[in-house]
Amino acid sequence: MKELNCLGMKCPLPIIAIGKEIRSINPGETIRLLSDDPASELDLRAWARMTGNQVDVKSPNEFLVTKSKVD
Amino acid sequence: MAHLTGNFLSESPLSPKAREALGDAIEQGWADPRKLAHSAARARLLHESAMASLAENLRLRPDEIEILGEPSLGHFYSIAGLLGPKEALVYSKVDRKEVIAIARDHQSSFALGVDSSGRIAAADLKVYKERIGVFALQIANGETGVIQDIEALIANSGGLRIAADFSSAGTWVPLPSRWDSAFFDARAWQGPQGVGVLAMHTGARWKNPLPHLGNTRTPQSASLPLTIAAAVALEEWLESQKAENTRLRTLSTDLREQVSASIEDCDIAGDLAQSLPHITSFSFLYVEGEELLRRLDAAGFAVDSGSACTAEDLQPSHVLAEMGVLTHGNIRITLHRDATAAHVTKLAEAIKVAVKDLRLP
Repeated sequence: MKELNCLGMKCPLPIIAIGKEIRSINPGETIRLLSDDPASELDLRAWARMTGNQVDVKSPNEFLVTKSKVD
Repeated sequence: MAHLTGNFLSESPLSPKAREALGDAIEQGWADPRKLAHSAARARLLHESAMASLAENLRLRPDEIEILGEPSLGHFYSIAGLLGPKEALVYSKVDRKEVIAIARDHQSSFALGVDSSGRIAAADLKVYKERIGVFALQIANGETGVIQDIEALIANSGGLRIAADFSSAGTWVPLPSRWDSAFFDARAWQGPQGVGVLAMHTGARWKNPLPHLGNTRTPQSASLPLTIAAAVALEEWLESQKAENTRLRTLSTDLREQVSASIEDCDIAGDLAQSLPHITSFSFLYVEGEELLRRLDAAGFAVDSGSACTAEDLQPSHVLAEMGVLTHGNIRITLHRDATAAHVTKLAEAIKVAVKDLRLP
């Protein structure tokens, strides 16, 4: 599983980073995203709704992002 | 420096008529109306006239209102004046921060969530209908413009006293069928900053929540000239409110359609049909809100933001967060009386260009 470390990054950089990185994986694959920005969970949920991908919140700073559709 | 093409901030300059009234009031109404001097008597007449005008235009009795020179304290006066120390305070998670601060400081407070449209489910309030206490009812949200389902909420509020927050709704929304206290901010009708109107319903169990001597309800320290300007601005506002409601709603519809048609991955907070006619909150994926604000400002368009990246405390907007709306890349557009279809089209085009330039990846 790919890992994307966005600890210390402020909004919207973690979302921009996952938006870039998601292109590098295939549908069904998952990226482990680490982010401690207070907006990350909220914006990842909104990002998932808008882009059709899935986000699983493992802990306040850890998210599993699964690509759900072809680019 | 770019010429300002349009002001879409929540604040706006006073109208020429209100500015003129303010200038006259500074000349005529400088004395303390409570004193005995001739100049004070003149100030007293001006004060009474302004209070009568404000009350009439807000559909209130003159003895039901007080003016606050520090409007952000209005939420405290409105709520705490009705609330006993052991009583329940029910509020919503999209209330203003002043209300949330009051709730955090109160031992028995209960927060209601909202759905993705920004509205409280009226049934959620039923749980508290047997409680003795206060329901802090935000009539309309200042960040999104979303108007609550007011009468449905009141119908489910049981015996809770109602502290109605009209600070953003102003006169766009009529007084509800039942209320105990209400708070208005003159900025809602393009009046001056620094004037709040606190209303205590006749017969309501309201008392001054701050230490005081005698029977004063508020500090009585508000500026008389600003109060007069607020009264004149309200009179002027109401002359065109009905027509402006239709006109601004049409412009907001156009703005929302033009922006969402030309920019992908754009979140709009709330449904315009259930919102104030002049406020729209956009969030753009992969865009930094602060840069977007700067870019629009450089192009001559002044707008507000609810993005975390532009907030002092770096916390995302609690309103957008509660609604599940994207909290970054956010701008809030407020249409004022001078806004035209041409302004809206230019603004929509400027947003499109700025988002295209700034969007990453």
